[in-house]
Amino acid sequence: MLNFIARRVVNMIFLLIIVSFVGFWIIQLPPGSILDTQIQRLRAQGGNLPESLIQALRTRYGVDDPFYVQYWKWISRSLQGDFGTSFETDQTVAERIYNRLGISVSLSLTALLFTWLVSIPIGVYSATHRYSWPDYIITFVQFLGLSIPGFLLALILLITASRLWDQPIGGLFSPQYADAPWSVAKLMDFLGHVWIAIVVLAVGATAGLTRVMRANLLDVLNMQYIQTARAKGLQEATVIWKHAVRNAIHPLVMSLGTLLPALIVGETLIAIILSLPTIGPLYLDALRSQDMYLAGTILVMLSALLLIGNLIADLLLAWVDPRVRLE
Amino acid sequence: MTNAVTGAETSNVQIVSEDDVVRVQDLKLNFYTALGVVRALNGVSFNIPRGKVLGVVGESGCGKSQTGLSIMQLTTGRIEGGSILFREFNTGEAIDITRLEKNGPEMRHIRGNNISMIFQEPMTSLNPCYTVGNQIEEAILLHQTQDKAEARKRAVDILQKVGMPNPERIADSYPHQLSGGMRQRAMIAMALSCTPTLLIADEPTTALDVTTEAQILDLMRDLQNEIGTSIMFITHNMGVVAQMCDEVAVMYLGRIIERATIDDIFYDPKHPYTISLLRSIPRLGVARGEKLESIKGTVPDPYSTVTGCPFHPRCPAAIPGLCDAVMPDETFVAGSRTHTVRCHLYT
Ligand SMILES: Nc1ncnc2c1ncn2[C@@H]1O[C@H](COP(=O)(O)OP(=O)(O)O)[C@@H](O)[C@H]1O
Ligand code: SF4
Ligand SMILES: [Mg+2]
Repeated sequence: MLNFIARRVVNMIFLLIIVSFVGFWIIQLPPGSILDTQIQRLRAQGGNLPESLIQALRTRYGVDDPFYVQYWKWISRSLQGDFGTSFETDQTVAERIYNRLGISVSLSLTALLFTWLVSIPIGVYSATHRYSWPDYIITFVQFLGLSIPGFLLALILLITASRLWDQPIGGLFSPQYADAPWSVAKLMDFLGHVWIAIVVLAVGATAGLTRVMRANLLDVLNMQYIQTARAKGLQEATVIWKHAVRNAIHPLVMSLGTLLPALIVGETLIAIILSLPTIGPLYLDALRSQDMYLAGTILVMLSALLLIGNLIADLLLAWVDPRVRLE
Repeated sequence: MTNAVTGAETSNVQIVSEDDVVRVQDLKLNFYTALGVVRALNGVSFNIPRGKVLGVVGESGCGKSQTGLSIMQLTTGRIEGGSILFREFNTGEAIDITRLEKNGPEMRHIRGNNISMIFQEPMTSLNPCYTVGNQIEEAILLHQTQDKAEARKRAVDILQKVGMPNPERIADSYPHQLSGGMRQRAMIAMALSCTPTLLIADEPTTALDVTTEAQILDLMRDLQNEIGTSIMFITHNMGVVAQMCDEVAVMYLGRIIERATIDDIFYDPKHPYTISLLRSIPRLGVARGEKLESIKGTVPDPYSTVTGCPFHPRCPAAIPGLCDAVMPDETFVAGSRTHTVRCHLYT
């Protein structure tokens, strides 16, 4: 098992290095040096740039160095937490990212937890009560969940909620609490806002995974070892939860790896509609304004999250299924 | 006995013995599918005496597995007639299994404890997520003892009994680390872990190679002698029947068409179907794995019902006007009290 973990971690580090290369290459990608963009923008804002300032910027960003030196400068600074400065706002990239990344990750993890807590039991129920009317209802709701785009649902919920409670509920806080220190009232306000985000984020994945869980469990229930478990005299609940679910849950565990970053970026539109201060809208902004340090850093961080998600998924899978562990 | 028209179905020629562990009477099993009703068992009657091995043979699809699964109440079809009397030998009381709630506590108490079953596919019979020991202990903990250490000890003991070279290590192995033969041994260990009165073995060696098959058959025979468990041994291989069984029931299309001791089946077969089955035994030097499909014609599709003797479309001895119109009764072969046959040639 230790061996298995070590191998996966080494793999991950290797992939991270590759990803950071690609990330940096993308930062370099826009025609002209990044610096030109920067200088042009500063000029456009008016004012003459003294030659000395330009020279200082040139050395800071190392635009005259060969690619690998530039990469090395960038990666070693990044590892110390200095991801460069956002061109757009002159804040450091780190400042702009951390807060939002934190919110994104916690929202996504909560949405993921929600997805699992809902889709496993419902998928199991649906599979064990196949072709009963609750199964039909569940199936119907699933297809609704799958076919309504997240942003539409976000709009619907937003409008419904504001009609019902007569207050705007986008964002994570009501205006009066936004800058207030944490209190019970603020927490309640936060929960009142955040559930919409979680539901909207989770709904598509939940519908999909319920379907997957149902289909997989149906396959597993046809396996001979389920018959064996029944032939032992086990209760049906034990047969299902101990013997069947554990074998049907693979894709859900694997989904952890891909779902995490997908939830973080994929739902940019939703975040914009619900005005959530997450990483998605920031990423979009960065790409639009060619704020390449910001965009590149976000890209590398999201890839790192993907890799970490995959690592966690692999470890969970190894824990669930000995065949993975003992390969 | 309630059905006057097809009175033969309620076989009154049962070979009755006080010593039976199970007595199946006129069992009818139907599947209701989107395409229609499949009549899988059409009045199956047989009994298994204590400590004996009954072979159940017939072509694929004739209802052997469903008969076994019915006794366990694990079939997905509907039992719509007949009874399955089971006598637990330690207590001596007889229970009609068909009256028990399918997954109720009484039925679950019988499963794995008094009647256990092993299946054809050793590769998929064990759960890949749990160790072999864990899966055997599960049955022991359910029926025999609450003590985990004791269950573990018994699991290792029984693994040793089924000829596992290193039972401690095998107990800690996962199924995918074992070969097919080893897995079937583990299944046998699991099935015998609670010393059942009856073991239903559904083609336990069909998926194994010849050498392994011979070893498993030896093992089952030895354990049967030692423990005294009755076995319902399902197979489509007459050669295996010859090695394993005391008595034989031959099935065709959801009915038992001949029932006799092993000697009578091999040296004095009566039913034309049994005779053709025997002809199709692979002989030494002949490619193995040849199925019994060498009998002329094919089994009619399960949705249709054949009038008269169900075998008449394929029977070389069919009597026109009789065999295709009238269902033959099950009767004793002249001069015998153990050999029955369902064929107009012997009435
Ligand atoms: N799930 C099912 N749905 C419909 N028919 C079935 C089902 N399972 C078994 N049968 C029918 O029951 C009959 C007997 O099957 P089975 O007992 O498995 O045969 P055997 O074990 O002798 O090969 C077959 O004709 C098959 O069509
Ligand atoms: S009853 Fe007739 S058709 Fe059926 S097996 Fe006997 S001879 Fe053949
Ligand atoms: Mg079968």
